[in-house]
Amino acid sequence: MADQGGSQHGIARTSRVRTEEQKNRDLERIARYHELEDQVRARVAQGDYSSAVFQLTSKLLRLNPEYYTIWNVRRRCLISGSFSKPSAGSSCSTACLTSSPTATTAPSSISCLSSSSATTPPAPGLPTAGKSGTTADPTVAAAAEPPGAIESAPSEAESHDFTTLKSELAFTIPLLLESPKCYWIWSYRLWILQQAIARLRPALARTVWEEELGLASKMLGKDRRNFHAWGYRRHVVGQLESRSLQGSSMVEAEFAYTDRMIKSDLSNFSAWHSRSRLIPRLLEERAADEAARRAFLDKEFQQIREALNVGPEDQSLWYYHQFLVLNLVYPDKHPAMTPGFTVHDRVAYLKREIDEIKELLEDYADIQLIYEGLFEYTLYLCQLERRNPKADERADLVEWLAKLKQLDPMRRGRWADLEREHELTAGGSDV
Amino acid sequence: MAIVSAVLPEELQLATTAHVKYIQSLDSRKDEYDYWLTEHLRLNGLYWGLTTLHLLGHPDALPRAETVDFVLSCQHDSGGFGAAPGHDAHMLSTVSAVQILAMIDAFDELDTRGKGKAQVGKYIANLQNRETGTFAGDEWGEEDTRFLYGAFNALSLLGLLNLVDVDKAVNHIAACANFDGGYGVSPGAESHAGQIFTCVAALTIAGRQNLVDKERLGRWLSERQIAGGGLNGRPEKKEDVCYSWWVLSSLEMIGKTHWIDRDQLVAFILRCQDPERGGISDRPGDMVDVWHTVFGIAGLSLLQYPGLQPVDEVYCMPKSATARVLGR
Repeated sequence: MADQGGSQHGIARTSRVRTEEQKNRDLERIARYHELEDQVRARVAQGDYSSAVFQLTSKLLRLNPEYYTIWNVRRRCLISGSFSKPSAGSSCSTACLTSSPTATTAPSSISCLSSSSATTPPAPGLPTAGKSGTTADPTVAAAAEPPGAIESAPSEAESHDFTTLKSELAFTIPLLLESPKCYWIWSYRLWILQQAIARLRPALARTVWEEELGLASKMLGKDRRNFHAWGYRRHVVGQLESRSLQGSSMVEAEFAYTDRMIKSDLSNFSAWHSRSRLIPRLLEERAADEAARRAFLDKEFQQIREALNVGPEDQSLWYYHQFLVLNLVYPDKHPAMTPGFTVHDRVAYLKREIDEIKELLEDYADIQLIYEGLFEYTLYLCQLERRNPKADERADLVEWLAKLKQLDPMRRGRWADLEREHELTAGGSDV
Repeated sequence: MAIVSAVLPEELQLATTAHVKYIQSLDSRKDEYDYWLTEHLRLNGLYWGLTTLHLLGHPDALPRAETVDFVLSCQHDSGGFGAAPGHDAHMLSTVSAVQILAMIDAFDELDTRGKGKAQVGKYIANLQNRETGTFAGDEWGEEDTRFLYGAFNALSLLGLLNLVDVDKAVNHIAACANFDGGYGVSPGAESHAGQIFTCVAALTIAGRQNLVDKERLGRWLSERQIAGGGLNGRPEKKEDVCYSWWVLSSLEMIGKTHWIDRDQLVAFILRCQDPERGGISDRPGDMVDVWHTVFGIAGLSLLQYPGLQPVDEVYCMPKSATARVLGR
């Protein structure tokens, strides 16, 4: 299964022989770890989900954030103790209870909250307005409710839950910074955020969720390709846009975010990918007419061509270029940017791209991705015009394929298949 | 591929004996702190280790009776399995349990001494999101195409795929497809080799490979091989032995394994092994672990490295086991 927790990535191989001192230190750490674990297990076996158990989970999770069962114990502590019980007339949704597991039969009703602040560190790292870095993200500001949107004062139960949830979010921050690819921390954090929707009024829940964009930006600032953080960002945006948080579309802001990410690193395919997924909605919401969509495509092509001019060996750029070309060739699958295009328009655009790529050859004669692009797009051109390659095109295809075989022998099996499929063997049948 | 062993220098020969000993030693490290920190992966680790041994041709190197006892000791009344006794049930450990029991032909013991096949099937089926078709990892709701694949893997081995809405799950996978032919962790997510394996394998189990854009996906997968022979998991990322499995098995499923350089990948994987103490690491010179060991060996098996048992590219188990269980 694709779970990489616990595996050794990028740690240098050393002798596995430990000194006596190291062995003893290991034994001491094991003893301390087991003592904590035994305490939690013994109490949980009694159905005890009290604040004492909650505090033990804090200690244990700081030692081992991969220990998913302990995250579950922590959830059960919150459900059976910390969170306020929904009362008649409460503005809180009771969905949180109906959707929560039935496993909790804990009799304890002791609140973890008052004592949890003693064991959890003060909220570090969470972005707040005015600080540098994370709040440079205009999506936060764009989505923010005006102050005073939360009109009536929160009930005691609601502010209690609010504080509990904020404390939990703060607890996971140092753990995430240390283990940014740990699935269990991310999923616990999302569960806490889900509780915010279930237990707080939408306007207040929204303030909790809005801060998450800052976290996603912060994590992506540390690792631009972290797919946990990109996924988290997508999820957070989806929720902020949803009715349950009184949201509205953030597609413009998110599109602008991909702009910034790409400008700081052209090779960030995660950002290009995100762009490819946002464009159809972006144009829809702009109510873009055919001319606007065409202009949009022009701008995208221009941007990626400029990028290819400086980095023609970069796969990320070519994948995005392919995405744009697919909009020309397969309008049924990718209808967003070329709704008014005639076949003649599609052919003209594709020819222009092929010519531009040919120009790249003047500066870069030995980059296989250029030949691959020319090869693929020339076949698309024939496909659009419903014809076989002309004699001069066929000669080009043969030449480019020879270059591909020479420059990229690793994929010779693929070049051989393409040669056979398109009948391009030297001296092969003419069309 | 017999040429491989003739052409490669001695240090690039597979250190089978060392790897077997390495796997056997994994459960004797109880005086190491890391042994306890990774207990949440114990059942997965047993599956990775046992699969390695089976592929190396040493299926009996771990005692069968103890293996069955341990696996059954991880089962909950719900039918699901935790990673180890005292750990909550989860899809990932449940799938590993089913795979282990399938490999050592112990479904009968599951019925007589465990909670039974039907209960396991029920546990997994209950994790399907009946609205979207995808699956959660456990009762707390994290969703991911890894869990969907795991469900299809285990349920098909148990002969209980009929318990879930296969069509809805298939539609969900289709929604995870990207323009580059790959698949992500959920709709909208970037293509990732690990996720591509889970989605293509799930579609293969469901008999719906017709939904895969094989030309485009094959191209993307073949472009994962980079200078040095190793495979990465996404564009412009570093190579890593585990992608020898995720990328290669996906290529195998769509019939395009010949689109990468087999000999260079074989050499890369072998450069990552520790020939003296056994085990395989992510990259040459790094610490070994059982996770990279199984996917390195399974990759070598797909590359028809001499002396290895053939691996099933959909299940990551010996073909002899899946053939027996699935009645092929």
